[in-house]
Amino acid sequence: MNSSQRESARQKDANSRRVLDEAARRRRARKALEALEQDNFHDDPHANLVLSKKIPKFEESLDGKQTRRRKSKNFEIFKQRFRKSFAQLLEEEQMNRPEPPNYVSAQVPPSKFPERHFCAVCGFICNYTCLSCGARYCSVKCLGTHQDTRCLKWTA
Amino acid sequence: MAAKHIFVLDNGGFNIKAGFANNSEPRVMPNAVMKAKSERRRPFIGDQLDECRDVSGLYYILPVQKGYLINWDTQKDVWDYLMGKDCFNVHINTMSLVLTQPYLNFQSVQEGLCEYWFEEMECESLLTINPGTLSAYKYGKENPSELCCLVVDCGYSFTHLIPYVQGKKITEFVHRIEIGGKMLTNHLKDIISYRQLNVMDETYVINQLKEDTCFVSTDFNGDMAIAQKKAKENPYVVDYVLPDFTTIRRGYMRPKDEAGSGEQVIRMNNERFAVPELLFHPSDIGIQQMGISEAIVYVIEQFPSEVQYHLYKNVLLIGGSCSLPNFKERVEKDVRTMAPAECEVRINLASNPVTDAWRGGCVLTKDPQFSSQLVTRREYEEHGFSLCLQRFDV
Ligand SMILES: [Zn+2]
Ligand SMILES: [Zn+2]
Repeated sequence: MNSSQRESARQKDANSRRVLDEAARRRRARKALEALEQDNFHDDPHANLVLSKKIPKFEESLDGKQTRRRKSKNFEIFKQRFRKSFAQLLEEEQMNRPEPPNYVSAQVPPSKFPERHFCAVCGFICNYTCLSCGARYCSVKCLGTHQDTRCLKWTA
Repeated sequence: MAAKHIFVLDNGGFNIKAGFANNSEPRVMPNAVMKAKSERRRPFIGDQLDECRDVSGLYYILPVQKGYLINWDTQKDVWDYLMGKDCFNVHINTMSLVLTQPYLNFQSVQEGLCEYWFEEMECESLLTINPGTLSAYKYGKENPSELCCLVVDCGYSFTHLIPYVQGKKITEFVHRIEIGGKMLTNHLKDIISYRQLNVMDETYVINQLKEDTCFVSTDFNGDMAIAQKKAKENPYVVDYVLPDFTTIRRGYMRPKDEAGSGEQVIRMNNERFAVPELLFHPSDIGIQQMGISEAIVYVIEQFPSEVQYHLYKNVLLIGGSCSLPNFKERVEKDVRTMAPAECEVRINLASNPVTDAWRGGCVLTKDPQFSSQLVTRREYEEHGFSLCLQRFDV
């Protein structure tokens, strides 16, 4: 490939590069934060064991004796009553305790210090912003890696 | 009341700290049910995990989400194991229970806790209380001349700042930062998986990597500059040898110039301090909140200046994430810079940040007023949850 071909290829690449709008960038950032709350990123390794008859279920020990107390009927009822997701609890709490202090009022305000920026690839302090997605990068090398990997690869 | 009839249970989102009030140390175990790829016969409850020889790809079922008890089924599994013959063999119906719950706990969860322990377990009497209140109580006993205390509880799910004035919690100034150990571990997993090796399924191993290699920087920009140097002149570069669970049971740091023999390694550099830095700058990953040091000053500034003076010299750090090396030094340096010059700044790191609240609970049971803080099963049967709501300060 000669230099003008390369130039035009790069141009074409740049033109076809999608640009994420502000809303999409925010959605993406929120998803990334939510992912940091996850307990597992893979599936339950025992999920498909239920069907297997050879392997004892965990209420039983290997010699077949019951080792765990079965949960009482009362507990089943109790569980039904208190089974709530975090979002449900929060909503309920806003009704029970609308006035501060409550969960919402307890969160600290935003920092007064300016935001710092780190290269999405290598983690060092950086000055540039990817035009397509808003991620930060420090050098041409890291920008290249970013574009080849994360830039617009995951859609929010 | 004899201490052997009181059980203290600090129910953390990551670890449970539990024991009789006359025990000298609590038993510490994961508050989780875990499943391993290598052991398909059974899950592991709490510290049964010690019996698991290969914890790669360990799958967690946690009762606590974002710091609050959500999954009662799993919590019961862990508590049944804890109270049962394999652990403490607690005779709960003749026992008083001191149980921690999170700051500003949701009312529904509080009600569930009381109902569970009184109706399902039939405990003799119950006190539910915040971990910070237990630590502040102990701090007050150890430092009887001090009038105030600001507890900073930096745990797994989040970080709280809880001011106490003359032993009383000032609930309206309790504040929360949405960062704790879990975020740090998950963020570390994220960047290692992107930069080097996919470890997204290895929470257990990467949590150890964090504990073994990460530290808090006391000069962030300076350390960043050092970390940019070539490996030869860069003291922060280390190779972490990952466990293979046959010859290597636990990962360890290997100096960068020492040759390996084909073990799988993760090279750590700026990650070692850039990850804990999130506690001090949550905005580094887009959480628009103050970091710990700034929040300490912010909370103290809510008080009249004569109280501020007492709070600045009685900051107490508890919770597992405070164990990161240099955590205290960093807080000290930051707060000293931001606090009024005439205020003495004294940051105290609990001698064991993980178990401090549990120990505080044991000290509290010796208080002459202790039994008046409890709600007995008889009282509960008569007055119901509303009495608990009145008597327990959460
Ligand atoms: Zn870079
Ligand atoms: Zn991009």
